[in-house]
Amino acid sequence: MKKKVISLMLVGAMVASMAACGSNGGSDNAAKGNTSATEEGGASEGGNTLTVWTWDPAFNISAIEEAGRMYKEDMGHSDFNLKVVETLSEDCEKKLISAAQSGDLSTLPDIVLMQDNSYQKFVSIYPEAFTDLTDSGIDFSQFAAGKLSYSTVDGKNYGVPFDNGAVIGAYRTDILEEAGYTVADLTDIDWNQFIEIGKTVKEKTGKYILSGQADSPDMIMEMLQSAGASLFDEDGKPAMTDNAALKECIEIYKTMVEEGIYYEVNSWDEYITSITGGSTCGVINGNWISATIMGMKDTEGKWGITNMPKLVKTPNATNYSNNGGSSWYITENCKNKDLAIDFLKSTFAGSTEFYDNVLKQTGAIATYAPAAASEAYAQEVPFYNNQQIYKTIVDYSVKTPTNNTSPYYYDGRNAIGTQIQNIIQGADVDSAIADAQAEVEFTMSE
Amino acid sequence: MKPKKKGMTLVAKQKAAGWAFLIPASAMIAIMSFFPMVKAFILSLQTGKGAAVHFAGFTNYARMFQDKVFLRSVGNTFFYLIIQVPIMLVLAILLAQLLNNRDLKLRGFFRTCVFLPCATSLVSYALIFRFLFAQDGFVNNALIGLGILDHGYNFLGNAMSAKIVIIIALVWRWTGYNMVFYLAGLQNIEYSVYEAAKIDGANGWKTFWSITVPLLKPTIIMTFIMSINGTLQLFDESVNLTNGGPANATITMSHHVYNTVFLRTPNFGYGCAMSFFIFVLVAILAFINMKVGDTRD
Repeated sequence: MKKKVISLMLVGAMVASMAACGSNGGSDNAAKGNTSATEEGGASEGGNTLTVWTWDPAFNISAIEEAGRMYKEDMGHSDFNLKVVETLSEDCEKKLISAAQSGDLSTLPDIVLMQDNSYQKFVSIYPEAFTDLTDSGIDFSQFAAGKLSYSTVDGKNYGVPFDNGAVIGAYRTDILEEAGYTVADLTDIDWNQFIEIGKTVKEKTGKYILSGQADSPDMIMEMLQSAGASLFDEDGKPAMTDNAALKECIEIYKTMVEEGIYYEVNSWDEYITSITGGSTCGVINGNWISATIMGMKDTEGKWGITNMPKLVKTPNATNYSNNGGSSWYITENCKNKDLAIDFLKSTFAGSTEFYDNVLKQTGAIATYAPAAASEAYAQEVPFYNNQQIYKTIVDYSVKTPTNNTSPYYYDGRNAIGTQIQNIIQGADVDSAIADAQAEVEFTMSE
Repeated sequence: MKPKKKGMTLVAKQKAAGWAFLIPASAMIAIMSFFPMVKAFILSLQTGKGAAVHFAGFTNYARMFQDKVFLRSVGNTFFYLIIQVPIMLVLAILLAQLLNNRDLKLRGFFRTCVFLPCATSLVSYALIFRFLFAQDGFVNNALIGLGILDHGYNFLGNAMSAKIVIIIALVWRWTGYNMVFYLAGLQNIEYSVYEAAKIDGANGWKTFWSITVPLLKPTIIMTFIMSINGTLQLFDESVNLTNGGPANATITMSHHVYNTVFLRTPNFGYGCAMSFFIFVLVAILAFINMKVGDTRD
């Protein structure tokens, strides 16, 4: 009898723990993606509530919540509600793929933030998932043309551009001084001059001047775009072989690694550590990297920002480029499109005060031209030795050349990233590029 | 003429009871496992971007063999299979033999220690191994401290060392798991067999090879099949430890399928075709394994 009772209790405990485990697991998973939201789910609700998927509490989430607050309190829509579901960028994309592939869009939110690099891929495969905003009343002419091209398909606008991905070069002024240089020596130069400076810095201070992930093509892509070049031609076909600009970029990159001035790491956290740990005294990346730099509180006042070096042999070379940045899109699942359009129009596409507030809170820099003229953008930032960095960055974004995008942009980037590693290990540059092109053509062949 | 009995006969009742027990579970397996398998096969015969698929016969399968990255991933996976599985199983069986010694103190503690890695989450341990072998990670610091190296070696940046790191991680994780199976198998061998061998003058090594291993054969076959299955479907380590490795040097087949479907421009038909290829591989290897190992008839 005793055995029966014990065994029954054990079975009961097992069942209870499985049930608890199941529901805990479920809510745990949801909670992980929902730190700032109240409920799980995250699908469009309609009525006066807008559901938004976005990531990064310090940046994007802070910005959209400020927009929600302004829309509700300052613009008099007191019954407006904003629900933000924190979802990482990759997760947003995967959920979009799952929803759109199955044909069931009901799990999608009203507004979703998407990285500019990947948007073309999504809209070409799942055009039915996004809402065309061309005639919605949003004034797209106020946004930087280079940025708009990412969210435009066949002349139709789908997204409201958000953060500025203009490339900056940030350097430690004290370390440069040790090597005998100032930030001005790194302004408006070309890559040959940059490599010379890098070598001297390494010699005199032992620090690298740049770092980056070994499998990331970011640096090469930034260099390409700085001359308006691309991996693809106007028709969206891969144009990597016989691409003199690409070859020059790869050769510059290879030289930097070989000369020991570019520190190659293997993962994102190692890259961040190379900056915060001081292995490198300089960073060239989208200006969002400033958030990381400004986290190094004990180096306040010792950083300066300037533009990136330009290519030497390629025509139309400039000192400006873009890396990253995202735009807001309204999905087709949005039940109250008028509200969503009005919300975006009044805040991201209409309010310079919004951008001022956001700048103070997050350092997020707009691509909205009128915003750049405001006072907040002209402020001097003590961390960067009282440079007016915001104005400078918006200025860079205006000068950034556009380039050809393609739905296979990400595939192209990836293929080049893989081949760069082979090239650094000693592979022949031409055959490696040919391999990359073959890989992308293979993916494009149906 | 015999009158027909009303109701079912005893035999029929038992048969009906048997079917009643089988049908719910079978139905669930059929709906949850077999139906998706069939649909996946149908999908593998289609191709196209995202949801815009059209029938294309066996082009996906032909395409697989021209996909350089896929062929690379097959090579990598087989590399892990051939190198890691034997090392792991040999280690597991040796550990099991050592820990089966009745006179060993703290046996339970040692067994727990060896088995504990299996209780860790795949993602966590892969991430931790990545931190350990980073350029400024623990292993490099230890080697520098011991004077063996003077600056950190880029374990995860070189193709061969990245593969070796993955193999080390796999051995660490799965040896305990297989050891438990062998321990259970060893318990089934009567002690009297060993006593008889001792009397006949066999030393430890000979006992091990001539008595223990043949008696453990069914368990060895089973762990071998399970290891083949697990290694061919390797995913978590490839994604979290090396992210496909320097220039696809450590990418596995499952990781490539995942990339094709979720990372690149999604081609679900092609992804399904590759998955079926993995399935066929596992089935063939398991079959060969069973035929070679089955000495019953």
